[in-house]
Amino acid sequence: MRGYILKRILKSCISIFIVVSIVIAMVFTMIPRNKVLESDTSYRKLTGDTRTSFMYSKFEELGYLDYVRLSDMCTNDSDNYKACMVNGSDENLKVISTYEDRGYKIEFQRNGNAFAYHEYNVVELIFHFWKRLIVLDGPNAIQDPNNPDLERRVYIGKDFNDVPAIMCSGCKHKYLVYFDGSFPFIHQNWLSLNFGTSYPTKAGANVLDVIGQGQGSQVVVDTVFPTGVTVASAFDLHTATYKSSIDHLDQNKFDDHYADCYSNYESPSMINTSYIFGIISLILAYAIGIPAGIYMSRKKDKLGDKIGVVFINLITAMPSLALIFFVRSIVVNFGIPDKFPLLGFKDIRSYISPLIILTLLSMPGLMTWIRRYMLDQSNSDYVKFAKAKGLSQREIFSKHILKNAIIPIVNGIPGSIILSIGGAFITESAFAIPGMGKMLPDSITKMNNNMIICLTFIFSSLAIFSVLLGDLLMVVVDPRIQLSAKKGGK
Amino acid sequence: MFKKKIEPLKASEPLKEAEIDMNDPSLFGFQRADDSASEHIAAPKYSYWGSVFRRFFSNKIAVLMLLISLTMVLFAFIQPMISHYDHMVAPNINNSSMHFLKPFTKGFIFGTDNRGNSLFDSLWSGTKNSLIVALSATFFTEFVGIVVGMFWGFSKRMDAIMIEVYNVLSNIPTTLIAMILVYALGGGFKQLIFALCVTTWIGTAYFIRVQVMIIRDREYNLASQCLGTPLWKIILNNILPYLISIIITSVSRDVPAFISYEVALSYMGVGLSERYASLGKLIQQYSPYMLTEPYLFWIPVFASAVISVSLYLVGQALADASDPRTHMI
Repeated sequence: MRGYILKRILKSCISIFIVVSIVIAMVFTMIPRNKVLESDTSYRKLTGDTRTSFMYSKFEELGYLDYVRLSDMCTNDSDNYKACMVNGSDENLKVISTYEDRGYKIEFQRNGNAFAYHEYNVVELIFHFWKRLIVLDGPNAIQDPNNPDLERRVYIGKDFNDVPAIMCSGCKHKYLVYFDGSFPFIHQNWLSLNFGTSYPTKAGANVLDVIGQGQGSQVVVDTVFPTGVTVASAFDLHTATYKSSIDHLDQNKFDDHYADCYSNYESPSMINTSYIFGIISLILAYAIGIPAGIYMSRKKDKLGDKIGVVFINLITAMPSLALIFFVRSIVVNFGIPDKFPLLGFKDIRSYISPLIILTLLSMPGLMTWIRRYMLDQSNSDYVKFAKAKGLSQREIFSKHILKNAIIPIVNGIPGSIILSIGGAFITESAFAIPGMGKMLPDSITKMNNNMIICLTFIFSSLAIFSVLLGDLLMVVVDPRIQLSAKKGGK
Repeated sequence: MFKKKIEPLKASEPLKEAEIDMNDPSLFGFQRADDSASEHIAAPKYSYWGSVFRRFFSNKIAVLMLLISLTMVLFAFIQPMISHYDHMVAPNINNSSMHFLKPFTKGFIFGTDNRGNSLFDSLWSGTKNSLIVALSATFFTEFVGIVVGMFWGFSKRMDAIMIEVYNVLSNIPTTLIAMILVYALGGGFKQLIFALCVTTWIGTAYFIRVQVMIIRDREYNLASQCLGTPLWKIILNNILPYLISIIITSVSRDVPAFISYEVALSYMGVGLSERYASLGKLIQQYSPYMLTEPYLFWIPVFASAVISVSLYLVGQALADASDPRTHMI
């Protein structure tokens, strides 16, 4: 069994690798990359050499190519920097030809200065992505010339709340593992994923920070800093990272170099917003869908069943967008806002209509399947036997049929997660919910390549691992099922 | 061999025993054995498609839906030919007296939009484009899916590879793949259709594969193989007819699903490009006027709902009717 799970996890990882690699290849090779810069206002204002230089440095930042200025070429590959910087000199030509030999393309600015760039091919692009993806933090992570005698050790200490935590000096983060009051209560900073920077929306910010950090205005509370001073601040001290140059304000608050903190925000991050909606709607869909399906199978061909079938057909057939607008126009009459940001995160009324729609979208599948399974089971021999033994209809349904019919449904839970992801794209866009589902079409229209790749990674791993989880759940629910094929013999 | 119909005794003339002399030799004659007569089956005539249509047309809701969907499809394909609607052209854009005309004023059945274009024209042009996308995506998905699924069900070597491909592709949300593909390829018709087909065909193929695996080892197919029938003939003549009802079910689910995808993708701004009107594009374009000019927004939403619901119900009824088990009365 363990071997099987390991194999499945490995396969899932390969699937994610393949999908994300294909998306990287497509996004980086098929999108005309000049379009990426079009929406950048500072780029549009530039002209001449600064524009060229800005363009190539942006492309380098986005991971398209390796851009080398003349000054960089001269510092890296020439002993005589001054001679090298003179256009047309022997040293200058020599350096240029060495870069040409390395496969770099040489071009000249209007002022005559040469620059070189090397465009990555698909394999290199994919390789770069996966190479930089996983970042491990360790005591040797910070190499700061301003602070050469930084202590390097990992130790178990106590954080500012006197809760034990694994702390580090010399790492990028001060707290490697820590506990706090927010879900999932234990957090780590040791391993992080790097998807590059977001551009052109939220230019320069780390992609994961954009979707992982809180939104809205900052929550300012009186915070006791390590030096003992109490200042009204929004800092989350658990997220302290290394800051090379600390000013006297930092020195006032912090007793070491770990002075860069993320802030606390009042609204959940994009990831959490999507999770809140996804999980609640899934629970609602199961809580309503399964009893409804059971009811339909018990009243087969009677009025209740017929109404249910009409409901299922209508929702399956109608375009989800039309359904969203119909439901919204009905719900609006009860004083519920038609867009999420009207009342925001704090008001419970903002959640009602998106949840109704997400639930409606995933219910018909569930109802059809549970009805089908229940009907199939009710024709089987053990049900006839139970009937012959004089069990009541209610007893047969609840004690015997349901237990057998629920197995495939448990296996289907992950499938509905995949479905709810698809529904979330549309629902979040229609309600302007600031979540990941809205972020994907937004970043596509804005050509935010790194964000697209990051979201693909998140959504596809979510989907793939949920399928794995579904298979494992099925084994838990039904002991007769064995996923690993038994080796022959006994 | 001579052929002679055996005249059955007529019940209307009961024989009177007294009148018949059983010893009269003129009553008896030699009769040749008639092979063709013994082959005659006295069951009522059965034609498959005849039964399908009889069954389908006995369903009143299905006929109503068929009429609605036929009207809409015909309108969508014929009306744009007459109106020559071009989404990029807005002749009344500077004439504000032509903007936001209410339905049934000045000869505009559905009124005019924010650019002074007739909503009636843009709606049918949009419906046409949405239908073209949905129908061709369904065609390619089903065609590739059926062809691959047939061979997939037969070949064990292919199965080993395809099942891994299926495991990768089926786990990724279709909307995600379609969005990214349209982004990478650009928003034309071909690109959108390709993006929609590229992950869905494998679902159809898998579905067909399972059905083929169920049927392929039945005795009549084994017998056919023993007699040396080539594989393609077995697939075409022995297996495909079994799958008609299953394929129709699958088609009836695909068409509304693709309409829904097109509407959703275009609404989010990642579907067809600005040059084409489509139901999703119209809904997106008119959604700012939902409160001020409700007709402008709701007519395309209703059109998308009506066309996909009617096509879905027609498909379901047809699939139901094409299942031979329902033909026994």
